[in-house]
Amino acid sequence: MSRFLVERDGQTRVRLSEGMELTKSQSVLAVLGLVVLFAVPDITRLTSLSFQAIHRGILFGLAAVGLNLLLRHTELVSFGHAAFFGVGAYGAAVLASHFDVSSGLLLLVGSVLASTAIAVLIGYFVAGYLDIYFALLTLAFNQVLYAFVLQSGYFNYSDGLSVRPDGLNPPTLFGLQWTSSGYDLILYYFTVVVLVVSLLAMWKLVNSPFGRALDAIGQDRTRARFVGIPVEKYVWIAFAISGVYGGLAGGLFALLQLHVSPEPTLYAFVSGEILFMAILGGFGTLVGPVIGGVVLVYLLIQAPFYVEYYNALTGLVLIAVVLFLPEGILGSIPKIGTGLARRRSDPGLLREDVATVGSSLRRGVSRAVTTVRIIVFGVN
Amino acid sequence: MLEHVLNGLYYGSILFMIASGMTIIFGVLGILNLAHGELYALGAFCAFSIVGFVAGQVAAPTGPATTIVFGLVVLAGSLAAAAVLLPVGGALEAAFIRPIYDRDEVYQLLLTYGLLLVLTDVMKFVWGPSPVDVGVFSAINEIPTTELVGFSYPSYNVLVILIGVAVFAWLAWFFDRTKTGRIVRATAINREMSTAIGVSTDRMFTLVFAIGAFFAGFGGAMVSIGPSSASLGMGLSWLVLSFVVIVIGGLGSLKGAFVGALLVGVSSRVVTPYYPQLELAVPFLLMVLVLLVRPEGLYGTWGEIQ
Amino acid sequence: MTTGPTTAADSGGIDRRTLLKTVGGSALAVALAGCTELLEDGEDSLADADVPDEPIESGLQTFTEGAPSVLGVQAQYGAETAVRRINENGGIAGREMNLDVVEEGGAYLTNYQQFVDEGKDVTFGPISSSGHAEMVPEIEAQEVINVSTDGTVTTLYEEDFPDVTYSFRFQNHDVMEALAAVMQAVEVLGADSIDTYAGINPNYAFGQDEMDLFSRGIEALTGAEEVYSGFPDLGTGDMSTHITEVNGEAPDVVFSSCWGGDATLLLEQGHANGMFDAVDLLVGPVLYGSANDLSEDLVDGPIYSGSRNFYWGEPSTDQWSPAADLVSEVEDEYGVVPTAHFMSGYGAVTAWATAAEKAVSLLGRWPEQEELATVLENHGFFTPAGYHTIGADHQGYSNAHFGELTWSDDHDAAALSDVNVFAAKNVSPPPGETSADWIGSW
Repeated sequence: MSRFLVERDGQTRVRLSEGMELTKSQSVLAVLGLVVLFAVPDITRLTSLSFQAIHRGILFGLAAVGLNLLLRHTELVSFGHAAFFGVGAYGAAVLASHFDVSSGLLLLVGSVLASTAIAVLIGYFVAGYLDIYFALLTLAFNQVLYAFVLQSGYFNYSDGLSVRPDGLNPPTLFGLQWTSSGYDLILYYFTVVVLVVSLLAMWKLVNSPFGRALDAIGQDRTRARFVGIPVEKYVWIAFAISGVYGGLAGGLFALLQLHVSPEPTLYAFVSGEILFMAILGGFGTLVGPVIGGVVLVYLLIQAPFYVEYYNALTGLVLIAVVLFLPEGILGSIPKIGTGLARRRSDPGLLREDVATVGSSLRRGVSRAVTTVRIIVFGVN
Repeated sequence: MLEHVLNGLYYGSILFMIASGMTIIFGVLGILNLAHGELYALGAFCAFSIVGFVAGQVAAPTGPATTIVFGLVVLAGSLAAAAVLLPVGGALEAAFIRPIYDRDEVYQLLLTYGLLLVLTDVMKFVWGPSPVDVGVFSAINEIPTTELVGFSYPSYNVLVILIGVAVFAWLAWFFDRTKTGRIVRATAINREMSTAIGVSTDRMFTLVFAIGAFFAGFGGAMVSIGPSSASLGMGLSWLVLSFVVIVIGGLGSLKGAFVGALLVGVSSRVVTPYYPQLELAVPFLLMVLVLLVRPEGLYGTWGEIQ
Repeated sequence: MTTGPTTAADSGGIDRRTLLKTVGGSALAVALAGCTELLEDGEDSLADADVPDEPIESGLQTFTEGAPSVLGVQAQYGAETAVRRINENGGIAGREMNLDVVEEGGAYLTNYQQFVDEGKDVTFGPISSSGHAEMVPEIEAQEVINVSTDGTVTTLYEEDFPDVTYSFRFQNHDVMEALAAVMQAVEVLGADSIDTYAGINPNYAFGQDEMDLFSRGIEALTGAEEVYSGFPDLGTGDMSTHITEVNGEAPDVVFSSCWGGDATLLLEQGHANGMFDAVDLLVGPVLYGSANDLSEDLVDGPIYSGSRNFYWGEPSTDQWSPAADLVSEVEDEYGVVPTAHFMSGYGAVTAWATAAEKAVSLLGRWPEQEELATVLENHGFFTPAGYHTIGADHQGYSNAHFGELTWSDDHDAAALSDVNVFAAKNVSPPPGETSADWIGSW
């Protein structure tokens, strides 16, 4: 056994550091994921997949990873994460257009500082709230910010601000001025690096004593308080960390989009989308929100080019995930994996699956029909 | 000033009709229905077809008497349009929402968001992508109302305010005085107990969702016969405002939704002329304020939420 | 140019050669100007050119659904009509043209990038001014020509992007319609009787830009004073607050750049609240964009509307057959009367197509993007709306139309009467000067 391999529960695990271990299949998936991430520019060049859409998806996914810290561990549903995403994006845009800061990295620092400040401020007010009240209070703060930016000349109203310090060219990355396609590529690889580092940091965090404390808070606040966890303070800190992720994602989004306007970054529905990404990908997992981000953003951006009823397509995908993949996309992979293995050995099960899906659809339809019959004709 | 207050009451009444359904559904089912705005839009589109049809069957109003007849026909058409939402709402609940009551609430959000997207395209398929207008607004304004007391104000607005009050009165009566209403409240307070005494919670939930959908649709119909058109995406901003209203009033509280809606309506209309930059923010500032001072909202709830 | 035997054409005694020369010399230009009856035989001056066989791929982004589709679908009809006419007349230098249409709402940049990824030869749209501003630098970076249908904020090319290569805009910009509104108001009421004015404009850059320019213009011409300026949300459901305020102030002129559903709402609630008794005049540059959604009782009152660079009845259809043909074609095909936004789409495609053909005849081969962009600068061409030029600043210049809102039983839609046609030079600054400076110098 080397330093990186440990034996636990009869399984060989890959160990990265204290508390950060992967099973064999998880390691394979992680390596595969990394390879795919870095190969995206090449894959999209060779196929008709959209590079831009995947890049955007990863950014929103990063924000969803931050949201998931609250959702998965403290069990708080934030409906206001666009506040951090948007403030992050505006942080970069304000520096670029009002202060002519031309270094992309400095802009990003501005994003994170701005969004952290806002997260600390909002967190102070919301940390003591629970359930739906927490969700709606975050939504309210989000909308107040949105309305404020929309009415403010400093932020150039609904038109928003450009993230081009000299008015025409994108900011510099690593001290260099890139051409358009070079810029996109460098920014993409930079995004991937940021994503991987952020995921590792989050992993480390949730496995730390602080992360365990958040879990305890999520399970039962009163009990957590009794064992001496400063509940409000910890939630507040978690909220602020979550805001850092949102701001980072928003800042990178500003660098990619090179223009920041209120509706695509700050509107309440963006908050909803970030939340849905986490759920869609599987909020019980670390990486799920990123998958959810890529899938949802890809659908939202690309579907209009292929089908007329693109909203319905996206909606049906979401409904299907809720009904048939109860743990989200990534969360359901282990089940799908074992399920597939069993089906390989017993193909008859496949027929059963079809029958299960068919009968659940049939039951749904028959419930609907019965209901309509009762309401319309008043009979059973 | 009086006119600004009236404008606010009118705006608040529309808001109440939409928010009432949302608060009932949340209060009893514990579901925050994101598709509620689309049910409202569906009501608006149905009103375009149904009110358009029935209004075409009667002659255009000429005198005060015929305008009142015309107004009643339009009202009947609006009710019929909202009635379409009863089976639609019931079927949506039975087919999609019933299987996931026991799941984590976030899946309910994701599912109703999916329904929101699907419903948008259903309306696009049926009524086309462009706005449609039933065009009875000016005829409704011919109905004599405020002129009778020597004041000039659009009759449509007055009627909407009156209808908003009527909707509130009916809902209050239904939940307070009727047997079904009491059973619904009992179910909201304690599901197990209701099941134990022989109440079909499935039926109750479907009924409540259908009623909620009905009032969303009725709100839509009221907007559709007014100065606005029915258009895709019309439900989004109302959806967000409905959240505000039910939070201010207290989640699940009908009285709260009524007071909250009027409060949001009047404050935003009265503030706008003096602080135009606050037009959008007022409802949300109000919500933040209420939540920070009285987290349970103005009226708390009338049924414990599970 | 080798043409067949020339015959005298029946329209106004102009012979074919003269007309061909006037409208730009080619069969395609004639077809897009709407003078197809002049074409008797194919022309072959471009036949020798070295042009690829595959069709031209183009993309249009516009509002295809929801409230803003009132304008967006017109632009789509316009672009489709122009493409149809191009293909019916043998394409551009023999190349057929395909057009993909996609919803623009909130996705301006990704749409443009997707079009570029798909290898589009040219892109058109958007309607949205903020979307347009967002796209311009990206267009310059990607180097695929975009001819915007609208997105008409004045400062876009005047101040924000004074030096662009691949980004063009066909429709008149805000200063032209705001000043046309000023002049229309002065003509109707007289400068001496305009002492106060108010505005109700949508709350975003376009509405603010228009109100700002209108204020500058009317204050310069009449010395009037602003008594109220409200900015309801774009796509709002209720403007009663603003109308109540306007009624209370009872200004001489109200200016409103509300469009689409907002325009209908303003007129509906304006009538219901007696606004047209309280004020002497409402001027609105884009009210007529909702021509097909207005009803007869709504157009009643002292209401004047602009119609940007195209009003279907101007020049009068009995003297100018291209407009008459277009109206009947659009009514047959789509069941609506074409509005200025129809021309936004039609003209954007026409500007590019005629320039492309001009470039082929100059070069003897299909032009590169940069060459085509050079030809588009200072390019002049005809549509059924008349003559247009794309200036050196990449802004389209055409006549601006303004008239009194009335009802047409023949077309079962709103119409304009007593239409004033303002030449571009009277309502927009000379090259090199910004609109604000220019109005300031009046």
